[in-house]
Amino acid sequence: MLKSWDTNLLSSEKKTLFSFFLLYLFFVLILLFILGYLYYNFQKDLVLQKYRIELNRLANEQVFRLKRLHRNFDKQRVYPRDKRFESAIYDSSFKKIFSTFKNSKIDFNRVIYIKNKKVYYIKELESYYLGTKYLVLQVDEDDSWVDRALKNMLLSGVVIFFIMMVFGYFLLWLMLKPMRDAIELLDRFIKDTTHELNTPINAIMSNIEMLERANLDEKVVKKIKRIDIAARTVSNLYQDLTYLTLGHKIVSYDEMVDLKKLLCERLEYFSLFSKSKKIKIKTELKEGVFLKIDIKKVTKLIDNLLSNAIKYNRVSGNIKVTLANNFIEIADSGMGIPQEKLKFITKRYTRANESVGGFGIGLNIVMMIANEYDLKVEITSKEGEWTKVKVFW
Amino acid sequence: MDKSKSVLVVTIFIFMMVKSFASSIYEKNCLSCHSKMPVKIDKFFYRYLLKYSSEMRVKEALVDYLKNPKKEKSVLQEELLARFGVKKPTTLNDKELKEAVDEYWEIYKVFDKLKGTPKNP
Ligand code: HEC
Repeated sequence: MLKSWDTNLLSSEKKTLFSFFLLYLFFVLILLFILGYLYYNFQKDLVLQKYRIELNRLANEQVFRLKRLHRNFDKQRVYPRDKRFESAIYDSSFKKIFSTFKNSKIDFNRVIYIKNKKVYYIKELESYYLGTKYLVLQVDEDDSWVDRALKNMLLSGVVIFFIMMVFGYFLLWLMLKPMRDAIELLDRFIKDTTHELNTPINAIMSNIEMLERANLDEKVVKKIKRIDIAARTVSNLYQDLTYLTLGHKIVSYDEMVDLKKLLCERLEYFSLFSKSKKIKIKTELKEGVFLKIDIKKVTKLIDNLLSNAIKYNRVSGNIKVTLANNFIEIADSGMGIPQEKLKFITKRYTRANESVGGFGIGLNIVMMIANEYDLKVEITSKEGEWTKVKVFW
Repeated sequence: MDKSKSVLVVTIFIFMMVKSFASSIYEKNCLSCHSKMPVKIDKFFYRYLLKYSSEMRVKEALVDYLKNPKKEKSVLQEELLARFGVKKPTTLNDKELKEAVDEYWEIYKVFDKLKGTPKNP
């Protein structure tokens, strides 16, 4: 495999992955929340259960005292107290008979509950001593269990979260495997093919150069020119594909490049191509503009812009190439790019116009190179009239 | 009979008249009969409280029993009931009975009678 798979994913695919991941994260968090909630309530029930047993025992003791008081009420009228709890007695109409604590509202629908850090236990009597139907016990809540439960929840929450994340990553990996395999296959295919293309193209181009054109018939020269253009187009494509498949692995050799010299050279290289479409090229190139950059890459960048300007131009159109201190601008009088497509035009496999051939990889390569060297690319266009590409630094 | 003696008798008579007039239906009717019984009327009250809990239900049950005493409705133990025999229905009318029962409740109710002890120091 040439490249790590993630660099091969298009940004729209990355977006899909990202939303999948967010969704997954969302569900994991919800799951954790529900688990936490259940665990907390379970612990609370457990604690209440313990209180319940203990408080029931105490309540029985208190009932016994009430019974004694009821029997001797003509002689003894002191409400029995116990220092382990506070208590209150209510009759069957929930009217308070006596209470040792200050709390107004008792929830008689429940047997045991916690409110304001106090545990309330309500016992219903079978015999209503002193008219008491409900005996309410109140004790301070020992809430150390909350801390313990929260600590446990946090710890196991983190552990489960990590496990789920690892699981999610694995899931993602499984999901992506077919896609990754396809991309890898394509990459390998392109690499192999391009390699096989290189030799024949070079043979064609060098042999055309070696032809003695002076001795040839006008018609034959014209045909040879056409062959030359076709060979160069294929050669460009070959280079683009190599760049895409090997791009990130190519080590840059940066040097001071004379941009005017380079632009003239490339215009010369494309001249056959442009002449065949009767395109007039105007230049406004400043002397002595240098850029520290890998010559192969900047050549690739310029070639792509020029070839686009020619390819998408109309017959007998114009191209204007400008070089200034901090920018190169290539303007054409072509079909332009629709406004809504401008945003996506730099993406791989996007073409402004389906009627013209091409893979839609040209501007993608331009962007890759520009990004590597911190160059800014500004594309403006008026549909049906012109397109301007400005690269500045 | 000298004059002073007859004045005293008249005074006592008037005093008794006033007293009997001032004393309530409860005292006149219920107590007059119950005070002769070996089991005090407060014991009956606390039995009702034990069985019926709230003021409303206690009073309802009392009125019901006094108007129409039945063996099955009594709160007394069998032996006691056998000893006294089921009482006769009350001769009081509804209003008087209600007044008597209300007073009975006021005298023996538990509310405001219980004393708390100061919290353990
Ligand atoms: C004629 C005498 C008499 C009078 C008057 C009387 N009682 Fe009684 N009472 C009895 C006797 C005898 C019993 C015991 C037998 C019984 O329970 O039926 C009794 C029983 C009771 C009981 C227990 C009832 C039970 O469930 O068995 C209550 C309470 C009571 N009396 C209240 C009153 C009140 C209140 C009044 C006044 C409105 C009153 N009594 C008037 C004779 C009397």
